[in-house]
Order: sequence, then structure tokens, then C-alpha cells
Amino acid sequence: MKKFLGVLAGAVALMFAASAGFAADAIKVGFVDTYTGPATAYTNDVLDGFKLEIGKINAKGGVLGRKIEFVTRDDKYKPDVGLTMAKELILRENVDLLVGTISSAVALAVSDLAKKEKVPFIVTYAKSDKITGEKGHRYVFSMNENSEMAGRAAAKELAKKPYTKYWIAGDDYEYGHSIANAVFSHLKELNPKVQKVGESWWKEGETDFTPYITQILAAKPDFVIVATGGRGMVNFQKAAQSTGFNKRVPFYQHTAIELSTLMPQGQNAPEGVYGTANYLFYFPATKENQAFAEEFKKAYNRQPKSGALYGHLLANFIAKAYQKAGKVDKEKFIDAMEGMTLDTPVGPMEMRACDHQIALPMFFGVTKKSPQYEHLVAGDVISVPGKDYLPSCDDVKKARAK
Amino acid sequence: MEFLSHLFSSGTLSQLLVGLSRTTILFIVSSGLSLILGILRIPNVAHGSLYMVGAFLAYTVIHLFGGGVPAFVAALVIAPLGVAALGFVLERAFFSYLYEREHLMLLLLTFSFTLIIGDLVKIVWGTEYRSVTLPGSLQGSAEILGLPLPYYNLFLLLVGPVIAVFLWLVINRTRMGKIARAAAVDREMVSAVGINVGWVFAFTFVLGCFLAGLGGALIAPMTNISLGMDHSLIIEAFLIVIMGGLGNVWGALLGSLVFGITQSLGILVWPKFGIVFPYLAVVVVLVFRPRGLLSSTW
Repeated sequence: MKKFLGVLAGAVALMFAASAGFAADAIKVGFVDTYTGPATAYTNDVLDGFKLEIGKINAKGGVLGRKIEFVTRDDKYKPDVGLTMAKELILRENVDLLVGTISSAVALAVSDLAKKEKVPFIVTYAKSDKITGEKGHRYVFSMNENSEMAGRAAAKELAKKPYTKYWIAGDDYEYGHSIANAVFSHLKELNPKVQKVGESWWKEGETDFTPYITQILAAKPDFVIVATGGRGMVNFQKAAQSTGFNKRVPFYQHTAIELSTLMPQGQNAPEGVYGTANYLFYFPATKENQAFAEEFKKAYNRQPKSGALYGHLLANFIAKAYQKAGKVDKEKFIDAMEGMTLDTPVGPMEMRACDHQIALPMFFGVTKKSPQYEHLVAGDVISVPGKDYLPSCDDVKKARAK
Repeated sequence: MEFLSHLFSSGTLSQLLVGLSRTTILFIVSSGLSLILGILRIPNVAHGSLYMVGAFLAYTVIHLFGGGVPAFVAALVIAPLGVAALGFVLERAFFSYLYEREHLMLLLLTFSFTLIIGDLVKIVWGTEYRSVTLPGSLQGSAEILGLPLPYYNLFLLLVGPVIAVFLWLVINRTRMGKIARAAAVDREMVSAVGINVGWVFAFTFVLGCFLAGLGGALIAPMTNISLGMDHSLIIEAFLIVIMGGLGNVWGALLGSLVFGITQSLGILVWPKFGIVFPYLAVVVVLVFRPRGLLSSTW
């Protein structure tokens, strides 16, 4: 019996040693993101962009002599599921940091957990301005733009235009309202003559926009801010094309010029739609951007979308931060991330120290046909640098103090 | 009073027509649901998934045939038939063994099919958004009192009545339809007189699935075809069926009309809260006629 117990104790000790050895070997990144349902059209790009970079980093021997590994968990777009998955990643998988999610609700829930557990959490795609705004803290970072930033960037460009009578229309959920408010409130600040003549809100997932479009046309506004997200982007543009809406009244949609919106429509997307985007594979036409787009296309046989850029940034920021920190330590990682600047496909990017928000440029443009591609692209692109539209550090401080 | 003046503006006519064209798709899908519910007593939650499969099949067919009018017509025939074939398999393999079970069991089974079909669609077509382009002759829009009405919506206005007449003929003028109606009232009596009820049920189920597929194929050019398009529709379809009277196909027609028109006129009157009107209509109908507008077969 004693012998048996001894063997058992030995085996247990061995198992512990083995798992400890494994944990010390690799830097472990835990993804919590939506990998089922419509959101996968965006989230798969993040993962693919990340994998591509991690592969290269690991091939060169990794960081601090360690490889970077990752595990993924599906949050099913639900905060409770996301939270459970994040807990499991921290407690059982012993991840060094958490990343992910396109759902703002999941991101805010996991962010809370990250604060309690003192684990760094990098948000990849969720667009609520609360993440690095009023709900921000030491352990949370954002690797993409948010609705407030998109609104400021769009307002800056729209204010230069002569339109005054604005109509607001959009998906009746958090993202739709927050993007519409962000655009319109900043537009009003920049151009006090602007007025809102009316609003229409439809349910998220609406398939037929024709009744809304005819009603808006009957009201005769100068310009329409269309606050749609996800599949609503394409649905609205299709309705605009078939009713000739874009030819009767100009309109703006955040991400209207993005590949995820334009590619599914081929040559039939409406022309002349104003939009903003974080990433365009053909603009800026720099060597770095072209190299990134070509590499991504070679690996996955498709052009990179915004998500691919977020994944790319994520991998390189993580690797460089650990390099700078000199060891795999959660607090040191955060210190290293703060204020770090990195050369990226869209130019040098800074992770702001005051709010942990990346200062990506925003591209403002208008949809047009291109002889080169089988889908519409953005024309007259203006690059709005991050510093021109990010809320100031003082604003963030005030929002967090509330 | 300002909002009432909108009701008598130039937009009213085009808004009504748009509402009616929306009614067409709602009617086609919900009549299929109603048939299955009324005759087979199956609360088929997977009906929306079949509609989604119809849309994806239409996409595939149009791309295989390379676009244009022939491809579009082929899609309108092949996609619903494909969904009907899938329905036939489901009926023979699963439902035909379970007709005597409780509704809860059937509900759970159909719910499991929504998950399974959703994942199958993901495996076959992937997660990217899909989109089909209308043939050139159906693109663009007509002008009604200065407001656009897409040609495709006009086309839907023609399709709606055709389907309604077709269903009326099938239900009232064919032997199959008569037996199905009888079986809905008294299943045991029909089999007691020597009729093979099983095949009548299979036929009804397949017809219902065909309608779901047709609805999906018809909506395909108007929307982007994506996972999740089944969820929003199935709720509307059930509301329509309940509002119209469970199992009554003409109730589904009436319900779709109420739903489509209150929505489009609601948007005209109060665009900010346009979405509440159809649901408000459902509430009003159910308060005053809890068993639906027309007599239920249940």
C-alpha cells in the first residue's frame, strides 16, 4: 500500500512538473471571441492576421527565447459565456494575457474580470467607447477604433461640406445609436448651422429598407447619417442601389468603404457613399502596406480587411512588449505596452499611455468603381491621423472620474 | 396632429406598395409554417432555417448559371425544390415517427434542427456574407409621385397573388388538399377510411418547406445572405401565424397584410419608432381576438 501511495505521489509530482514546464516554455495568449454566427465574417480575419505574424515570430525563435502560443474560446456573442470562457482561460489554461472579442458586452464583462484578476486584456474588435473611456483601467487595452473616434473623424470631414439638413437613420441597438450620436454631436460642434430634421430606427437584422428609404426621401433632407453595423451595412447599400437613394441624397456610413461591405456586392454596390474605415488594403500605397496585403493574400487567398490589421498589430505589440519588459510578467507587460510605438503597415502607431488606446489613422473616402478590382473601392481618400480625432487624455480622465 | 398629415402625403401610395411587396415574402414563408402547424401540428421552428437554406441555394444556382434572367428563374425553381427535398428527408427520417408525440418534444426536435442546419450552412457556404445581383431588367426603380419603387418590389407584387391562387387551388381543388384538410380535423377517421395519412403528411410538409425555400430565394436579391437571417424571420412568421389563426393559410395572408402594411405606414407616420407598429398590431389583435383573426384549425 505504501509503495502504491509512493508511486501515486511520484506520478502527481511528475504531472505538476510537466505542466509547470509547459507553462514556462511558451507565452500563452487566450482568445475569447465570437467564432459562431454572423460575426465570424470579421473575427476570423483577426485570428488569421495574428497567426501569420506569430508564425514568423516563432520561426525566428520567439520572444525571450520562448514561443508564443494561443488558445481560442468561443463566446457565442454572449457576455455570460464570454466571462466563463475568460475565467477558464485564466484559471485552467494559465494564460499570460487575454485578447479578443467583437462584442462590446463581452469585452466590458471580460475587462471587469481582467481588472479583478490583474490579467492584461487587449480588446480586438469591440467598438464601444466605454472600453477605454469611462470603464477603462490599468489592465485593458484597445487595438481598434471605437464609435466615438469614428464619429469624431467623420464629423471632421463632413463639417467641411455644405449640407445643413441632416437625417439620422440606423440599427436600433447600442452600436447604431452610439455611432449616430458621435457623428452628429461632433458635427454640430464644428458647424452650428447643422440641424437634425428627423430620425428613423429599424431593428437590427432588418432585411427590407425600401419603406424607410422612401420615407426619408419624402422628407427631403440634404444628407443622411446611416448608422448600420454588421450585415446591415450591405443590406442598406443594396436597398440604396435598387432605389437610387445614393443618387438622390448623399449619405454616410461608418465602414461603408471597407472591404467587408463592398466585396460581397461586386460591381453593384452604390457609388458616391461616404464612409470611414480603419484599414484599406490599397491605401496608403506604401511598401509596408503592400507587403502586408500581399503576404496575407498569399497565406489565405483573400485580401486583408480591418480585422487582419488588428490581428497583425496584436501579435507584434505583444511580442515587442514582452521583449521590452525583459520577462514574462503581467505588470511589466503593461508598463511596456504603455506609450509603445511600433512600425505597422499603416505607419508608426502608438499605444497611448493615458488610456491604453491605439492611435490608428482613420480613412475617410467615397465609394467608386475601379477598373482594377471586381468590387468598388474608396476614392478621394483622406487619412485622418489618430491625434486629430482621439479624445484628449483630459477628456478620458474626466470620463473615468465620473 | 402633424404626424397624421404624413398619412395623406405623396409618400403614402409608394409606402403602401412597398408594404404590400413586403407582405408577399412574409405570406409565402408564414403560409408554409401555417400549413405544417395546422395539418401536422408541428411548431416548426426550423422553418426559418429552411428559408435561409433557400436563400443560400439561390445564391449558388445564380452563380452556377452565371447571372442574368435565366439564372434568376432557375434559382426561383431549383432553390425551393432543393429545400423541399431536404424537407422530404427530414419528414421521412424524423417527423413521420413522431406525430403522436407531445408538442414540446416536436418543438425541441425542430429547435435542434435550427442549430444543425445553421452549422451545416456554415460548413457548406462559410461565414462570409453572400450577395446576389438582380438581372439587369429587374434592377433600378420606377417612380411613383416622385418617389422610387424598385422594379423588384413590383415583381413581388405580382408573385404574391400567384402564390395565393396556387395555394387555394392545391388546398381546395386537389384530392391531396382535401384529404389534408380532413386529416387536420380528424386524423384517425381519415386513416380509418383507408387513406394513407402518412403520405398526405409528407406531402404537406414538403409543400411547406417548398414555400420556405421560395421565400428565401425571393428575398435573396434584396438582402445579404448570411447566417442568422433565419432568426429574425421565424419570429415574425410565428407572430403572423398566431395573429391570423393557427393553421389557417388565409389567416397567414391576412396576418402578413396587417404586418407588412402597419410597418410601412408606421414608418411614414413615426419613423423613429416605426418598428413597434406591427408588434402593436399583434397585441391589439390578440387582445380582441385571442384565437386569431380567422378560425384556427386547432
